[in-house]
Amino acid sequence: MAEVSRGKGTIKFFFWLAVGIGLFYYAFHTYYNGQMISWYYYKTKADGYAVNADALKGYSKEKPALLKIGPFEKIEGLQAVPVKKGDRLPINANGVITSAQVKKGERATLEDDKLKVMIPMRIREAKGFKYKDTFMHKEVQTNPWSGVWNVVLILAMGFALGLTAEGFTDMMGYKLEKIEHFEGAH
Amino acid sequence: MFDFAIAGIQAPLFLLILTGFTVGIVGGFIGVGGGYMVTPALIVFGFPGYMASGIDMTHIAGKGVVSTIRHRQMGNIDWVLGLAMIGGTMLGVEQGVRLLTWTKDLGLSGVVLLTASVVIMLVLFIYTQIETAQAHKKMSQLEKEGQKVGREMTVSKGPAFFQRIPLFPIIRCRTAKIVVSMWVIVVVGIVTGILAGFLGVGGGFIRVPALIYIVGASTHIAVGTDLLEIAVSGGYGALRHSMMGNVDMIAVLFMIVGAMFGAQFGSIATAYVRGPAIRYILSYSLVLACVGAFLRLAYMLTGQKYEILSFFAVVFTLGEMLFLCLFIISLVYFSVRYTNGKKVPAWVPALVVAKK
Repeated sequence: MAEVSRGKGTIKFFFWLAVGIGLFYYAFHTYYNGQMISWYYYKTKADGYAVNADALKGYSKEKPALLKIGPFEKIEGLQAVPVKKGDRLPINANGVITSAQVKKGERATLEDDKLKVMIPMRIREAKGFKYKDTFMHKEVQTNPWSGVWNVVLILAMGFALGLTAEGFTDMMGYKLEKIEHFEGAH
Repeated sequence: MFDFAIAGIQAPLFLLILTGFTVGIVGGFIGVGGGYMVTPALIVFGFPGYMASGIDMTHIAGKGVVSTIRHRQMGNIDWVLGLAMIGGTMLGVEQGVRLLTWTKDLGLSGVVLLTASVVIMLVLFIYTQIETAQAHKKMSQLEKEGQKVGREMTVSKGPAFFQRIPLFPIIRCRTAKIVVSMWVIVVVGIVTGILAGFLGVGGGFIRVPALIYIVGASTHIAVGTDLLEIAVSGGYGALRHSMMGNVDMIAVLFMIVGAMFGAQFGSIATAYVRGPAIRYILSYSLVLACVGAFLRLAYMLTGQKYEILSFFAVVFTLGEMLFLCLFIISLVYFSVRYTNGKKVPAWVPALVVAKK
């Protein structure tokens, strides 16, 4: 093995480890304070009612969910907010039941001043495994800039983790020599 | 179990990290992203199909960077070759996606995709197996004769043919020691990019054999250079998926942590083996993925009646990851034994390098 500077390796390891942890913490922070989620569930792609699909779990045709309709800033439980195409989604909204669906009346319909959701969740067979098909992420537009943010974050994370690993092996005194690709018979 | 608010599911963190780790080992060793292994695994963990592809592609971009850094340290990257190929690859991927949309419009995408996957992987497997077996035999013979055997041995006539094409500009790839028309590299990038875009994968399993058998790079350099490509094309794929809302970033971050450890092991393991050993693992990954795709194709062609076919396709894909990891670990183990003068199977000495 070639000689390596273990001191430099140690600095490199701890520096890039700190950067990696910092990026990880930042990503978690933006996930849990709702920033990343609000970028993801950003705007509506159709006219209809913004809902929190998670609140609809457990309801069925026999036991429909009745959602209170109103201009709520934050959706809590069984609430729905009327939205137009291109509107920002209210906090906690993660899906849109379109006006067309309500008009059709198969999965949801209007009943007095409430939105009656009859098939909030279907279980379908897919590739031999069951998965849930809900109103979640239906008719939702993600903020395109969050895509750029995701790519910058993952590339920065890859860079930090790659150099952390390189620093670690240097710190341990294990430096890989460059491979001699063309020596000997080939 | 961890609550993924964006994906709207709960999934076990340990399995995500483990998946990242195992695919990191295989990807770092044979220079592929491993999308054909990760996406089915994520669907099994409960992620919706569209999100499984997005998470996979985004984690591949990060893993590509991690592996590229390590392969750069070992001198396995030819930057001229990689950069010349990137433009062609991106152009090809766009055309491949359009081709996919066209077949989707015709209502044929599922069957066409799987049939194309099976045929391409089978052809690559057969060619790689035959060529590698011949190279292995030649290396064993040279070893017996007491000659100093190098890192690489190929018996393919393809590179000599393509390197003779006299189209201007001719470029010199110093690390790979190749002098070739830039158009050969660009066309290889476009063709492999079209296949990658059409099949919805990163394309490493097509590009690595193309770099070896058409461009003439050594296997180690093909692996390192392809990982550079994967970092760039994966980043572009991640951008497209993220903008469409197919990515839960926290799932990606957990996978990349596992992939960091796996990619280190896989990349460093290449220093213990010769080119044919990497090509053997690549060919086995191709045939195993081919069987998985064939089972899915059979499932579709039988009108999705026989769930057992789909079930085995997934089980096969997950088993493949473990099998390949064990194979790579055993090669490193045998290399260490061989270095220490201990007994190893007869097929090993020609495939591994005795580390000083």
